[in-house]
Amino acid sequence: MATLLINGKSRTVDADPDTPLLWVLRERLQLTGTKFGCGMAQCGACTVHLDGQAVRSCQTTVAQATGKKITTIEGLHPEGRHPVQLAWVAEQVPQCGYCQSGQIMSAAALLAKNPNPSDAQIVDAMSGNICRCATYPRIKRAIKRAAQQGG
Amino acid sequence: MTTRLTRRAFLATGTAASVGLTIRFPLFGAPDAAAAAAFDPSPMITITPDGLVTVHITKAEMGQGVGTALAQIVAEELEADWKDVRIDYPIANEKYGLMLTGGSWSVNWTFDALSRAGAAARLALVDAAAASWNVPAAECVAERGVVRHLASGRSLSYGEIVKRVPITKTFSEEDLKKITLKKPADYRVVGKWTPRLDIPEKVTGKAKFGIDTFLPNMVYAKVAYPPTREGAKRTAVDDSAAKRVKGYVATVALPDLVAVVATSYEAAVKARDALKVTWDPGPNASVSTESIFAKFNQAKDDPALQSWHEQGDVKTAMGSAAKRHEATYMTDYVAHMQMEPMNCVASFKDGVFDIYTGSQFQTFAVGTLAAVLKTDAKNIRLHQHYLGGGFGRRLEPDIMLETALIAREVQRPVKLIRSREEDLRRDFYRSATLQVVRAALGADGKPVAWENTLVASHPGRRWGPDFVDKKGLDQFALNGADHVYAIPNQIVRAIPVETGISVGYVRAVAPNYTFFAVETFMDELAKLAGVDPLQYRLALLGDAPRLARVLQLAADRSGWGTPLPPNTGRGLACVSAQEKKTPTWTASVVQARVDPASGNVQVEKITCAVDCGIVVNPDGARSQIEGSLLFGVSNALKERGTVANGALVQSNFHDYQVLRMNEVPEIAVHLVESTEYPTGLGEPGTTTIAPALSNAIFAATGARVRQVPLLPDRVLAALRAKA
Repeated sequence: MATLLINGKSRTVDADPDTPLLWVLRERLQLTGTKFGCGMAQCGACTVHLDGQAVRSCQTTVAQATGKKITTIEGLHPEGRHPVQLAWVAEQVPQCGYCQSGQIMSAAALLAKNPNPSDAQIVDAMSGNICRCATYPRIKRAIKRAAQQGG
Repeated sequence: MTTRLTRRAFLATGTAASVGLTIRFPLFGAPDAAAAAAFDPSPMITITPDGLVTVHITKAEMGQGVGTALAQIVAEELEADWKDVRIDYPIANEKYGLMLTGGSWSVNWTFDALSRAGAAARLALVDAAAASWNVPAAECVAERGVVRHLASGRSLSYGEIVKRVPITKTFSEEDLKKITLKKPADYRVVGKWTPRLDIPEKVTGKAKFGIDTFLPNMVYAKVAYPPTREGAKRTAVDDSAAKRVKGYVATVALPDLVAVVATSYEAAVKARDALKVTWDPGPNASVSTESIFAKFNQAKDDPALQSWHEQGDVKTAMGSAAKRHEATYMTDYVAHMQMEPMNCVASFKDGVFDIYTGSQFQTFAVGTLAAVLKTDAKNIRLHQHYLGGGFGRRLEPDIMLETALIAREVQRPVKLIRSREEDLRRDFYRSATLQVVRAALGADGKPVAWENTLVASHPGRRWGPDFVDKKGLDQFALNGADHVYAIPNQIVRAIPVETGISVGYVRAVAPNYTFFAVETFMDELAKLAGVDPLQYRLALLGDAPRLARVLQLAADRSGWGTPLPPNTGRGLACVSAQEKKTPTWTASVVQARVDPASGNVQVEKITCAVDCGIVVNPDGARSQIEGSLLFGVSNALKERGTVANGALVQSNFHDYQVLRMNEVPEIAVHLVESTEYPTGLGEPGTTTIAPALSNAIFAATGARVRQVPLLPDRVLAALRAKA
């Protein structure tokens, strides 16, 4: 048994300490906004925040997440209106949408740390997140838009 | 497991002959008297008493924004108020006709039929309102979801009509054809900026993909896949260790399928890893990239090569020409690498299979499942979800079959999720290809004869006889080789080769490799003739004025002909993709910089001009074009599947690399305004990139790279060959 603090709520799950956080979030707690893409921290689809830092939940164990504040896409903003999410809609970023929770979590963590990132800083922070539909130009525009709106 | 289909299996779907050749659309049916609660003027449209118009989207939503575009088409002629329009993705059903999403066909195949369905619904609503007021229908108009009688000022909303007024007007197929549709100048929804309906839930994590399905009492399965892509046979299974894994439920050992079922995903992984399966690797155990290309090289000289496209007399024209040129082009295997690994949830209860996944080809999936599971198609209920990328991968029903078979064995709902490694190794790849192109030039430098010998594996041969022509050729392995240049004598010869590596349809399909050869070779001929590549092409596009126009537009906007720094060049390509009979006229200029020391190529800028006829959703169109171009950059620069021991060597994103943000060039898209019938946008842009980039590398360095991907070592080899 493990107790995790997810989106401000304490959740107890029956999972071994070495279970990837991703599978606990998705398959035990049905917080399915966080996506499985590669299982080896290569694609970023499973990105969540651990004490505000963007991490790949497929390579984060339940033991590592215990005692930390876990934020998933579902908990980024109570009404789904975080400036990054609003910018994503304004720029019509998603295509298939599967990677976008991870993209948004990476972008939100970047802007929390660096409210006005340069192009190079955006590219640096976001190149760990793959979008096979290649919505990259719009992701970049949306991050700049969110930065202007105080993301 | 095998997914080879018999003709009978596919006929079970009832639409065998229509795939890829002709399109059926459901007839406009009489309103269902029993369903008085709503008005269903067509299987695609439901209007409810609350005034909402729901357009049932039978195309897969995999990022194209297809649901929004198709709803816009309906709303335009229906005169619906856009704020009342909703979309859903219904369970597969014969009443929707052929359910297939691919080929950049969605808007092209449905624009006319959905326009007419919307218009007919509007006429029926107007007729009903007019009858209730006892006035001629001709005195009434419909606008933004309301029917008005102009003379009396009376009005009824669509919702009120559905609630209160009998709707009796019906349309035969002939009646539908006679409806006068709007002129493009009068459009209020089509062609206007319209935010996509699927985007809000894709930024909150609420959008449901197949992998997000949960059923009560559900268990998790993992399959033990064979060591080679095709041809391995299981000889023994020992599950004694698997049984000791906490959460183990059952072992499923069928002739073509071995799986373990457990109470959680991670328990299923542990149990599957503890299975001891002994395999006879079969006839493909030593198949490699080298052996495949050696086979292709032999095949190109095969006297049995079949002519697929032919005009004039190539042999005579070749013999009498002033100059001749020949070049060989090769492309490697390409994987889909859609972000959502293949997965499915299935349950089997009371003889009915409920299948939850995202499918690009429901008609084929239902037919295949019914045939293999030996049940009637009505017992297969395929629940459609968003697709976490399709790109052709989700045309295949393989994961659905596996899950359904396991669910039937364990009599519990089953969720099967492939790991990325399994997803990549069990993919149906774009075939490796070898093309030998020859041409003869006349005294004026223009080609008088053109010959393309195209060796590849043809996916349609695995799908069944309905997916190949009488010669056994799959047109979707060849499209594009029949280019639109005015060359009097042409032949395209093709031979399908089986390699033991399963092939399928990957975004942009054959035109991604055929236009690589055609458009790179065109540049080589221009060089031979001593003519600028733009002018050389324009002189041959007399039969394709719309292509000439986009080519000129892309060149003008790219700064074609203006000076660039050293080792930097521009290359162009223009295409009639996806198919010659329904082309989206597309031209790209790629500007790239080559590092002569490392062979690294950096794409700096893409200028793309597109004429697809009427544009239904302009921002969605741009989004598709941007994505298709960058998919092309990824294919052209990075993606190389290699084969050893009968299977793909690569296993995940670390060794099968795709484009990331740090490699994205500047993109400028120019859409031509047009009132021509719409074609499609998901793929044509992709096909321009490899040739335009190869041509840019030549312009930058004088080195010709004829092998995709255009990897640094290949660029270096071409640089050395030049020197």
